[in-house]
Amino acid sequence: MSISTPGGPERRPTVVSTGKKPAAGRPASGAKAGSGKPTGSPRAGGKGPRKPVTPVKVSQGRAWGPIALFVAVGVLAAGIIGYGAWASFQGSKPWDKRANAIDGIVNIRKTDKASLEYESHKSGPLTYKYSPPVGGVHNAAWQNCMGDVYDAPIASEHAVHSLEHGAVWITYRPDLPKDQVDKLASKVRGVEKMMMSPYEGLDKPISLQAWGYQLKLDNADDSRIDEFIKDLRVNASVEGPTALCNTGITATGTTPRELQQQQPTQ
Amino acid sequence: MTAPATTDSEYDEIPAAPDEGGRAPASRYGVLALAIMLVVGLLLGYAGGLLTPRLTRPGDASVEAGFARDMTSHHAQAVEMSLIAYRSATLPEVRQIAVDIATGQQGEIGAMQTWLREWGLSPTGSKPPMSWMSDGATVKDGLMPGMATPQQMTALRNAQGIEVDRQFLTLMYAHHLGGIHMIDAALGATDNAEVVRVANTMKATQQTELNNLRQLQAQAKG
Repeated sequence: MSISTPGGPERRPTVVSTGKKPAAGRPASGAKAGSGKPTGSPRAGGKGPRKPVTPVKVSQGRAWGPIALFVAVGVLAAGIIGYGAWASFQGSKPWDKRANAIDGIVNIRKTDKASLEYESHKSGPLTYKYSPPVGGVHNAAWQNCMGDVYDAPIASEHAVHSLEHGAVWITYRPDLPKDQVDKLASKVRGVEKMMMSPYEGLDKPISLQAWGYQLKLDNADDSRIDEFIKDLRVNASVEGPTALCNTGITATGTTPRELQQQQPTQ
Repeated sequence: MTAPATTDSEYDEIPAAPDEGGRAPASRYGVLALAIMLVVGLLLGYAGGLLTPRLTRPGDASVEAGFARDMTSHHAQAVEMSLIAYRSATLPEVRQIAVDIATGQQGEIGAMQTWLREWGLSPTGSKPPMSWMSDGATVKDGLMPGMATPQQMTALRNAQGIEVDRQFLTLMYAHHLGGIHMIDAALGATDNAEVVRVANTMKATQQTELNNLRQLQAQAKG
């Protein structure tokens, strides 16, 4: 109640003021303006192009004023709407569209969706259709993917679980020159949802994996690496952005480990 | 379309102006102008309302986005440390504060990631981490202020007994100090109400935890 009452008087002045405008040409408003400012001259100066409309012949000037105003407002409105449409089209391009636009990327989610499906976690060694694997059945434990840079091959059974949690896994052929390895490591270290390891038998020097996506490359300087990470890190997570990368397996070795029974605390 | 219509009514009005009959076209013009103004005004208002949230939301290189991304990384390591302590520390109080930090910060990660999604931004920025901070803290090996090195993390993971408590408390104390430094930088550079609210909550929480960590450090010295 108390809110609506102060609202009323506040609204009213605006209603009154809009009423004034159409009345501007009539003598009544002229009298009002005159009462506000005693001399006759402020009339012309007070309300620029609108006031001079008095009996004189200045009809042409009066016509162009509103036209220019409407055109200007119309152009402004069209501009705002047009820019908004353009911006929303550009900005809302979803991550998967951007990922798909990366030259050479393989989208297994599209080409071979069945290979990513699984029923439950499985222990022991598993076979994968893609090398390195990009998804599908995996071990209950995931490989720690808190920006871990592994210097030896890791178990795919754990790595695939990390991909499921939204990690990007960078793999490289063990013969990749050290400066190239260092360049890759600098994109990984300290960045959660990133991990990296050498991978035996790669058909290209470097291969990037996210759940359902793969990109093979020759060179660590390739700008598509950053694009792949930007588009797919976290976004590719099957379990959302808060799926863990810590409390995973931190050891290397390609044989999957089984989760240890919780030791009684010291 | 509207412009010629206005012109016509203008011309109608001019010769008629001095007479009585002039009033009819004049008011017709007034009604027309009012209608056009109303339509254009509504359109403008609609477009403005539609676009304002889109145009004013934080962009890819904004402080808000940088804070959300980097604080997510910073928090992620705190969660990792805390879960190690929760699993392996000796003192019950240390395990208690560890699980509190882990779940609290993991929840905040969820909030920050939701901001990024609502702003239409990727969790990964195009610029290096911390570039949103004006004092340009240099990031080495992805380590933001207060973060533990990979070697320190390995040591914590391999520690035994009360040594877990001690290392965790030392690392987490430094971690919170660095975190508060980043929060202060964000608070000084944003007026986004939601970011300010969450940042203030984070700061208050971490400041209280600093006191508790210090108290536990005395206890863990034994």
